[in-house]
Amino acid sequence: MVEKLKEKENRPGWIASINPWVLKIKNNPERVAFVLHRITGLLMALIIMAHIYVTGTPARVGWDAWAEEIAKAHGISAVTLYFFFFAGIAWYHGLNGIRLLLVEFFGVCIGKPEKPKPPYISPSLKACQRKLLYLVFILWAILWAATGYILFAS
Amino acid sequence: MSFDPKAATRTPPKVVTFKVKRYDPTTGKEWWQEYKVETYRGMTVLDALLKIKEEIDHTIVLRYSCRMGVCGSCGMIINGMPRLACQTQIAEVATEANPVVTVEPLKNHPVVRDLLTDFTRFFEKHKKVKPYTIRKDIEEREKGDFEYEMTPEEHYNIYEYTLCISCGLCYSACPVVASTDRFLGPQALAYMWRYVADPRDEAWKERLELIDTDEGPFSCHYAASCSAVCPKMVDPAAAIQRLRSALLKYRLGMYKKEKIAQKKVVEVKPNPKPLPPEAQPVPGADPWKKNEEPVNIPIDELIA
Repeated sequence: MVEKLKEKENRPGWIASINPWVLKIKNNPERVAFVLHRITGLLMALIIMAHIYVTGTPARVGWDAWAEEIAKAHGISAVTLYFFFFAGIAWYHGLNGIRLLLVEFFGVCIGKPEKPKPPYISPSLKACQRKLLYLVFILWAILWAATGYILFAS
Repeated sequence: MSFDPKAATRTPPKVVTFKVKRYDPTTGKEWWQEYKVETYRGMTVLDALLKIKEEIDHTIVLRYSCRMGVCGSCGMIINGMPRLACQTQIAEVATEANPVVTVEPLKNHPVVRDLLTDFTRFFEKHKKVKPYTIRKDIEEREKGDFEYEMTPEEHYNIYEYTLCISCGLCYSACPVVASTDRFLGPQALAYMWRYVADPRDEAWKERLELIDTDEGPFSCHYAASCSAVCPKMVDPAAAIQRLRSALLKYRLGMYKKEKIAQKKVVEVKPNPKPLPPEAQPVPGADPWKKNEEPVNIPIDELIA
């Protein structure tokens, strides 16, 4: 009798888009950037929906109650914390989006094809897109910190 | 993938535990199995797996062929990273502090059994991009008494993409393939760019139109894992970005292939160089004559 054999589908699915450690690939910060871009994109979509709901509040509770609530938004409060996290998400998504536009659509900073030689690192991983990526992380940290300063200290 | 050239000179831990992910296709059961292997300097993961198969457990299934990083058969996930088992030194992945090596089948490829994966889907995608030179003049192909002119610079533009051994590591590392099966994957698209950029190929328009879908380069999000795991430095991530950029320009009417190589008739030399003495045919034998009688070799005398 011939045994019935079944192949196992071995695709990690969408989890690979939100977990950069599904595979432990060395010398690949681009994958971390890709995962962060997906997560921040998803969160921004959720925040935009929440934002639409929140901006409809004056229609439900009246302008006076709205103005009273907004007046409390200084120092560390729920509203400023919300804006702080939103700023972090938006800064990263925007900055990395510019990097991706340059690299993906204009094909810049991906190096030139070269003859393989030790230590056999692909040209695009050594090219200036990597510097651009680190620049995104640095700018993200600076701009997020500056936003926090404006929100909490002012 | 970068290599540590000193890995082969280091001595790996004396005994290494191999955790192998097993799969039984008859029952659909999946489990991790541990084997302890005595190692030696220069031992690769493939050597260790073959030692397990020969001496400990004959039922373990894996695919391999050349054992020297040429055929691309022994791709598997070693300590969480897609690698060729024959190119991975145990000293590179196991340390005295943690003498454990985990081995799993490649992701994104269906598992047939244990470490053996099915590449049918992968090669179907490869076939889809028409991985061969297309010329409009069919007669050219029939004659074959010419060559296409190409400068060294044009050759180097495509050379790294011609090194692909279709091992499937890039396909396994791609997070986009992980979430959608429609994406052609890094290997097929790198091949596609190799022919779009090749001056000898004339079908660049057809090729660009073929991939102007959600299967093509627009589905790539530049995680660059393909280039990070490639054992041959092929750089599929860059190829896909070049392809996307070309496709975008083509749709805006701004892309045109710089040069199409023209054929150059090769002159057949009337007096070819004579063969060196060590390559001269055996006296009495003429390899060019098909109906020649075999040379009488005095085997009995030689044995005596």
